[in-house]
Amino acid sequence: MSPSRGPERASRPALARRPRPPERYADARPGEIIAASPGVAALGALGFAATLFVLVWLAWRGSRDLGYAWQWYRVPHEIFRRVGGGWQAGPLVEGLLVTLGVSLRAMVLALLLGLATAAARLAGTPFLRGLARAHIEIIRGTPLLVQLYLFYFILAPLVGLGRFWTGTLALAVFESVFAAEVMRGAIRSVAPGQWEAARALGLGERTIWRRVILPQTVLPMLPPLAGILVSLIKDSAIVSVISVFDLTNQGRNIISDTFMSFEIWFTVAALYLMMTLSLSTLVNGIERRVRRLRA
Amino acid sequence: MSGRGGESAPDPTAPAIAFERVSKWFGAHAALRGVSLAVAPGERVVVCGPSGSGKSTLIRCVNRLEAHDEGRILVEGIEVDDDPRRVRAIRREVGMVFQSFNLFPHLSVLENCILAPMRVRGMARAEAEELAMSYLARVRIPEQAEKLPHALSGGQQQRVAIARALCMRPRIMLFDEPTSALDPEMIKEVLDVIGELAETGMTMVCVTHEMGFARRLADRMVFMDAGEIVEAGPPERLFRAPEAPRLRDFLAQILRD
Amino acid sequence: MAALAGGLAYVAHRFGSVLHYRWDWGSLGGALLHWSVAHHAWRAGLLLEGLEATLRLALWSSVLTFLLGFGFALCRISRSLYWRLLGGLYVGFVRNMPLLVFLFLFYFFLSSQILPLLGLDRLGHGAGPAARFWLGLLFGPPRELSAFVTGVFCLALFEGAYVAEILRAGLQAVPRGQWEAALGLGLGRRETLWRVILPQALRASLPALAGQVILLIKASSVASLISIPELTYMANEVSSSNDHVFETWTAAAALYFVVCFGAASLFARWERARGTALAAGPRA
Ligand SMILES: Nc1ncnc2c1ncn2[C@@H]1O[C@H](COP(=O)(O)OP(=O)(O)O)[C@@H](O)[C@H]1O
Ligand SMILES: [Mg+2]
Repeated sequence: MSPSRGPERASRPALARRPRPPERYADARPGEIIAASPGVAALGALGFAATLFVLVWLAWRGSRDLGYAWQWYRVPHEIFRRVGGGWQAGPLVEGLLVTLGVSLRAMVLALLLGLATAAARLAGTPFLRGLARAHIEIIRGTPLLVQLYLFYFILAPLVGLGRFWTGTLALAVFESVFAAEVMRGAIRSVAPGQWEAARALGLGERTIWRRVILPQTVLPMLPPLAGILVSLIKDSAIVSVISVFDLTNQGRNIISDTFMSFEIWFTVAALYLMMTLSLSTLVNGIERRVRRLRA
Repeated sequence: MSGRGGESAPDPTAPAIAFERVSKWFGAHAALRGVSLAVAPGERVVVCGPSGSGKSTLIRCVNRLEAHDEGRILVEGIEVDDDPRRVRAIRREVGMVFQSFNLFPHLSVLENCILAPMRVRGMARAEAEELAMSYLARVRIPEQAEKLPHALSGGQQQRVAIARALCMRPRIMLFDEPTSALDPEMIKEVLDVIGELAETGMTMVCVTHEMGFARRLADRMVFMDAGEIVEAGPPERLFRAPEAPRLRDFLAQILRD
Repeated sequence: MAALAGGLAYVAHRFGSVLHYRWDWGSLGGALLHWSVAHHAWRAGLLLEGLEATLRLALWSSVLTFLLGFGFALCRISRSLYWRLLGGLYVGFVRNMPLLVFLFLFYFFLSSQILPLLGLDRLGHGAGPAARFWLGLLFGPPRELSAFVTGVFCLALFEGAYVAEILRAGLQAVPRGQWEAALGLGLGRRETLWRVILPQALRASLPALAGQVILLIKASSVASLISIPELTYMANEVSSSNDHVFETWTAAAALYFVVCFGAASLFARWERARGTALAAGPRA
């Protein structure tokens, strides 16, 4: 469900025995040995706009011929509606708030679970380490949807969990695996020299963890963890399957009442896009600041 | 010569390379400022100058790895411009050797050498391999033909890169600091190969800081600073009686050790 | 640790006393394999049939995903702004929306507007028994073909954006000097890309691409929501007909796990073997 994450990349074999001089201007795009001139670029942008226009026009005309009645004017009503004298959130905004609620709660839980898993993998007894590995492999080896069904059909009736929390918990458990990998990676990326230096100063194991190692992992961890939140928002659409009234489910409901499939799905997609893009922008900002802080 | 850049067949009687008031900017930074230079067929030119003075940019404009912004560059009478046919015609005749070798890491030494002859010149594989082996023998590593580049030492890799360029039978060779990335003990083996090549009468432009090598090999030495050619002439004279203060400083620094 | 033990004990207690759940793994047998009296042979049960459909779905959408991903990666590194914008729009659009939303959007679009034009339902009518067997093995029953094709396209169009990003990153990670050396030798852009840049980019992207295939297998479970009878769909069917929810979903999860974990381990082994072979280098 979260296609952004493959297995960790294998490091590439070194190309030469001795380190090479740094590549010139590594940030230049390799494809553009000679970039197009501004005039050509402007032409490209124009052509692109024209293509979009033609595509939209074709879709519109094609759907009209097939008898699809566009009703965009009805969409704003689903976002905000006027009740009495004031404004009230429409079903889409309600769904959006549920999506955010599920995602944020799941994020907090995922962080806690991820921390426990990472700690077990790094410092646990062999039994705990094995448990953590099994947790990670099982979650990675099965689809989120199947995990959600397992939670919904089995765990929920057992412990009397509502649908909202069932969905939240399933998402949290799923995402905790990635959070754990991020944390483990961050801890392991602290240079071994830091351990040696701290030990040489006579600091105790606990002090080293608390005062030396963990503080260094916080900054580099922020961007990937924020990336996990972005994935969570997207993955949370799956809870619509167990009738949690999130954005996706609200979309489905409106469509079954009004048959405005295209209008509603495009609106829903745009709302998700808004959430993820604004978060990504934030992440990029954090990343840049982190890099500057560490430089 | 016909109108602007019309020619696309090489003219061996024209200057091998002619720069006419060539300028090149990277954003607001001028890497070349109105450089003029003519390289005669068979001439061996060494370019030197401090880092960032535009030496690489100068020779990379010859085969259009960089596009110049002003002035004209003619290679054997063909104007270097945006026309891809002319650019490819020039690249076929001009070989280039890079500071960082740039061998293709996924291809064996032999495959590195036969790729361009087969794909660009349309040579048959057997013929290309025979040609490649003869050049690998000339750079003295025929026994490494089946290895992948990363299994070779830096000096060996650079000699393969030279052989690879020679397999296209270029009339002009460009070298961009061919020994700067090498350990000291490997510099000589590469310079020897380049020296032998110089004796065949190949037109060569070589950017290097190896002053002894420049003195032995070059017909002419060109000193660049801040995107300009500050002084040019026979290496003997430049070493003995440098006129420009900037060249004097440069020589003093580089010859100190 | 104590919390974990307490939680497990509580769950076990609920199983035994509150729900009076009766374990019955035997009931599951028929869903995996059953003896067909009519054919005098063992037949795949619903769950295994579903697994077969899942693998079929994953296979074809992987193929299509890589083609699409490659195409869009090329767009993204094109010198022309036009193609870059086009590729950027697609990748940005898809990667920022949930698979579910994309699926519903495209399912509606494809199944209502495009597929009827293709006339897939009539395909394979004139085929002989051997051809039918192969068609069935590769594409599933003809009567489900148009749903299957819709599923393949939805998944591939979605995952294609992620593969495009992987390949773009791989292509752009190839050092600039490789382009320069190849172009300097007189090779054209296309030849340079094909013979010099792409082989290196593919090698570097292989682990990520393999991970993407596994993600695709898992993502295909969502196709159950558009009624493609793959493993998750079948598990839903089975569990609602035999009332053994726990056993059925555990079995389905286990089947997915075997496939995904198996594929990941196989790939890791192959990658290790290749890694050492590469490091050693071929000797003359
Ligand atoms: N691709 C590029 N982008 C931006 N600046 C560049 C680029 N290539 C070269 N320059 C700049 O142009 C100047 C000349 O560079 P170069 O020709 O590489 O110098 P040299 O080879 O003499 O050391 C330098 O100041 C360098 O920073
Ligand atoms: Mg240079």
